[in-house]
Amino acid sequence: MQNLFAPGHRACAGCAMPTTVKLILDAAGPNTVVASPTGCLEVVSTPYPESAWMVPWVHSLFENASAVASGIEVALKRFGKTDINILVIGGDGSTLDIGMGCISGMFDRGHNVKYICYDNEAYMNTGVQRSSSTPYGTSTSTTPSGKASFGNPRPKKDMPAIAVAHKVPYVATASVAYPVDLRNKVKKAIATPGPAYLQVNAPCITGWNFEAGNTVELSRLSVETCLWPLYEYINGELASVKKIRSKKPVEEYLKVQGRYRHLFKSPDGAELIRKIQAIADANVKKFGLVD
Amino acid sequence: MPVQLVEGNNAVIIGAMYAGCDCFFGYPITPASEILHAASRYFPLVGRKFVQAESEEAAINMVYGAASAGHRVLAASSGPGMSLKQEGITYLAGAELPCVIVDINRAGPGLGNIGPEQSDYNQVVKGGGHGCYQNIVLAPNSVQEMCDLTRKAFDLAFKYRNPAVILADGVLGHMVEPLTYPEDAIEHYIDTSWAVAGNKQTMGNLITSIFLNFDELERHNLKLQKKYATVRKNEVAYEGYRLEDARIVLVSYGISSRISKSAVDAARKEGIPAGMFRPISLYPFPEQEIRSLADRGCRFISVEMSNGMLADDVRMASGCKDVALVFRLGGNLIQMSDILKKIREVS
Repeated sequence: MQNLFAPGHRACAGCAMPTTVKLILDAAGPNTVVASPTGCLEVVSTPYPESAWMVPWVHSLFENASAVASGIEVALKRFGKTDINILVIGGDGSTLDIGMGCISGMFDRGHNVKYICYDNEAYMNTGVQRSSSTPYGTSTSTTPSGKASFGNPRPKKDMPAIAVAHKVPYVATASVAYPVDLRNKVKKAIATPGPAYLQVNAPCITGWNFEAGNTVELSRLSVETCLWPLYEYINGELASVKKIRSKKPVEEYLKVQGRYRHLFKSPDGAELIRKIQAIADANVKKFGLVD
Repeated sequence: MPVQLVEGNNAVIIGAMYAGCDCFFGYPITPASEILHAASRYFPLVGRKFVQAESEEAAINMVYGAASAGHRVLAASSGPGMSLKQEGITYLAGAELPCVIVDINRAGPGLGNIGPEQSDYNQVVKGGGHGCYQNIVLAPNSVQEMCDLTRKAFDLAFKYRNPAVILADGVLGHMVEPLTYPEDAIEHYIDTSWAVAGNKQTMGNLITSIFLNFDELERHNLKLQKKYATVRKNEVAYEGYRLEDARIVLVSYGISSRISKSAVDAARKEGIPAGMFRPISLYPFPEQEIRSLADRGCRFISVEMSNGMLADDVRMASGCKDVALVFRLGGNLIQMSDILKKIREVS
């Protein structure tokens, strides 16, 4: 494996994101330019003048990495350099919330940019505030569980579906627990001309509050409980799905995380867990996850 | 009144709640996020509204919407987020909408870092968006003032139908000090006859900043300028420290003024007649008060965490060309010893 994301960065022990980035860059190879919006990745990888990036890397503000990447693509085209992979790697806050307008523009114009979102399901860098990628019922700094609230009252935004709706030719989900699958999907995204969107489940030890060392196990549980289905859409059609042999109840995934602790303490918790189970069951039906 | 150890960012929300603030619209950004957290925790418990927006632009335009409906609205951010909000702020000023915006200044430019700076001074005090407009700007220097000035900002915003900004910094936001709670909450009655409240009485009201006719827009602008002149006349606030016989005056606001105060005491021990002038209102800027110190023959040293932005205003107000400057950037605090060194140089 090529190591294009150097060790010594400042990510928390147990963070899924550096492993995710390592796998992405290994698949993409050294002929790659990365644009990143602000977020944990930028903060931990580039405490100036140090940098973990072994490929050219451009940082911009929170909302505009897609626009910056569009500019890079146009400029490289202008100079006839069409064999360089242009990636955006950003978190869910920058992708699903503040950067939504710029991503839509990039997809719509059809730039040859591969957008990869490491999804840790909240604004972790600024102190675990809810994003529109935060799942239903999750306790965060801005959707704290308590007397007036059971946690995040809204469902997770379906960003891959939004990418599909833009006629993005390659859209997929992945998980840090399935490295071969993740690498293959990055390679496929790069091999497909035009824009691509990949959303990777990346547990955050600080924000999700789980036992250190269980990062990969937890991400696997999100897949095995069917809360995080792994699939590919090619040219708007569901092209592949990772089948789940023995589907696990969502409690197994929820009970090991501090962000869901309230579900097992409050009297309404059982009803909320039933609702979360219904989300997983709907995924099974929609994607045909279980044979 | 109860006294409690409170963090500066939390004190903002306490002040806002006592000011009858109805709605908070926020977006995460360090070092202002605790204001968002406190609003999300306390507002729903007393039936007030907390909304986390998807972006800074969305948050400020939600402020525009709720302010149009005549509500008491608060938003908070820091440098990069304030930059994103500028479009909304010029529209709020143009449409004469009252609101309070808190800026917990961090170090720039660009992403910079999350340490304290006072470099948003020009953007906030001069009006960072397009057009000839002004924000009312108040600068606290303690946790107590984070609460009290937030409350006062609501009064001023509604009195003048104008955005009011609390300009603080990363240290004030995260500092923990004893806070004496306000004695009582304000009367909730406010004149909102101008608002669009979705009823028959306000059907004819219009919230807008578009005036296609040149003369009409000029008239609107002149009306705004007249309002700003009234603000300048009535709302100047400042603190003087050992100014009575001072010959050397440190001009300083926010967290820098706390360090300046210590420097004044140290200089006095050496027999140097130093004092401090602290503008509490940055807009309106206490021009006349500074001018009268200049007339007395005082020499000025601007102590600020920006590159002379405050010194420029001191120079203009005092008419003195040689305003000295002590500054640090990048998230660093000014050292008292550096101020003292400059006082000795000037004396």
